[in-house]
Amino acid sequence: MFGLFDKAKEHTAYINDESSPLMLKVEKGKTLLNAALSSGLPWPHRCKVGSCGSCIAQILSGKIKPQIDFTYVLNADEIANGYILACQSELCSDVRVKVNLDKSKKRSK
Amino acid sequence: MRFFVNARYLIVPVSSIVTITGVLLGGIYAWLGMTLFGLYTVVDTVTKNIRFRAEKDVNGNSYGVKTFQYLVMYLMLPVFILLQLVLAWRLYQYTSGMPIEAANIGFFNYQLGISGLHLIGATISTALWAGLGIIYGHELSHNKKEGFFVSRLIMALSGASHFTYAHVYNHHLDLGHEDDPATAPRGRNVYWHAWLSHVGQSKFSYDLEKNKFNRQGKSTFSLKNKWILGYLYSLPSIFLFVWSGGLLGVIALIIVWTISNFLLEALNFMGHYGLIRQEGKPVEHRHSWDNDNVFTSWFFIEIGRQGDHHVRGETYFWELDDVGAPNYGIGYFSLFILTLVPFVFRKFVKHLLEDWDNNHATDEERLIAKKFTSIGIES
Ligand code: FES
Repeated sequence: MFGLFDKAKEHTAYINDESSPLMLKVEKGKTLLNAALSSGLPWPHRCKVGSCGSCIAQILSGKIKPQIDFTYVLNADEIANGYILACQSELCSDVRVKVNLDKSKKRSK
Repeated sequence: MRFFVNARYLIVPVSSIVTITGVLLGGIYAWLGMTLFGLYTVVDTVTKNIRFRAEKDVNGNSYGVKTFQYLVMYLMLPVFILLQLVLAWRLYQYTSGMPIEAANIGFFNYQLGISGLHLIGATISTALWAGLGIIYGHELSHNKKEGFFVSRLIMALSGASHFTYAHVYNHHLDLGHEDDPATAPRGRNVYWHAWLSHVGQSKFSYDLEKNKFNRQGKSTFSLKNKWILGYLYSLPSIFLFVWSGGLLGVIALIIVWTISNFLLEALNFMGHYGLIRQEGKPVEHRHSWDNDNVFTSWFFIEIGRQGDHHVRGETYFWELDDVGAPNYGIGYFSLFILTLVPFVFRKFVKHLLEDWDNNHATDEERLIAKKFTSIGIES
């Protein structure tokens, strides 16, 4: 609840290519997916409520704040390896993130 | 404008407080909640042709104030608890044989003790407004962890805490397909749907937990199981009603839960009745019915803008807009009355479904629709 009173702030997501990554500003309170879509990035997505797994991405460094429990969609290995659901992730710091922007990964329930 | 846009969503909070006050006052006022429902049905029907788009300022931003709207939604949890507490207080008075007499606390004059007839009024009034918990339970199910938890608690007051998980992980993913218990296929009536949808969503929520624990190699039967926990959250309501009214308390709670869950499932029923989505295809605006006349929109905090909501599930209710989804053309109150008489509802919806089949559906969806027609189900 106290998150409601947070001051606006933003962090940067450095996407994919390590040497020349795409840089994405993510405002506090906005999800990684929404920030990507607003800036025109073709980030795979389908439900945007954390149930389909299409927006999966891997955090290589930095911290995110999950808005819901990822364990219903991602398995333990994925979570241990830093996979997240971008539609349900806010940034707590700058992050390096890997995502397949070319194709959406269809996941079974 | 900002004040107006935010204040207009206070109809349910204010009406819930009026209902609570009515039960507290006792006597004929115990029926206030039910009377309001009747009055709102008339208002909704009369204003069926008035619609507004989502208002935005010159920069394209919504006038909705997130902090305020969240505060209201969170505060509805104690309001709904209070609703049950005042009914339990009246149950206690009735079962303990308290004489009916005028009383006052300072300037607040009320009736101590309650007749059986007015207790019925208090129970139905409570049930109807408890059922409105769905609009907050629903909105909060889509938001941050704290909101999700408050959603679970609000729904637990109606014994339906499983809804929060089933709505996000099942309904939003499987909408319009037979895998979604909350989508009513053509030919089903609201009474049958209420049971099937309720049980189906609870089963989904159980399976979701079971699969999660199986993957983790842990036992399903644990206090970390959200399906079990959800029902445990409902225990305080059960204890309260048993303590205050014994057997009569149990009956009152059954009435409250039955009516409130029926309202919840009626909303699911109206939201997607008869619409079809081919498995694996994305959810589009055409897979939901909109009910967005002015009174329905403000009263139900825009839950009737289903078309937009299902495509932009992360969007706050005050930002939802008309996206050209199929539209019943009437509000939820009026439509709800129609659903109560299944043959009238099916007659009403028949031409709307024909229009959907002809002008919205894809070829594949039309083929599935034809299967219903081939077994004699046209609406
Ligand atoms: S878009 Fe479906 S889980 Fe993120």
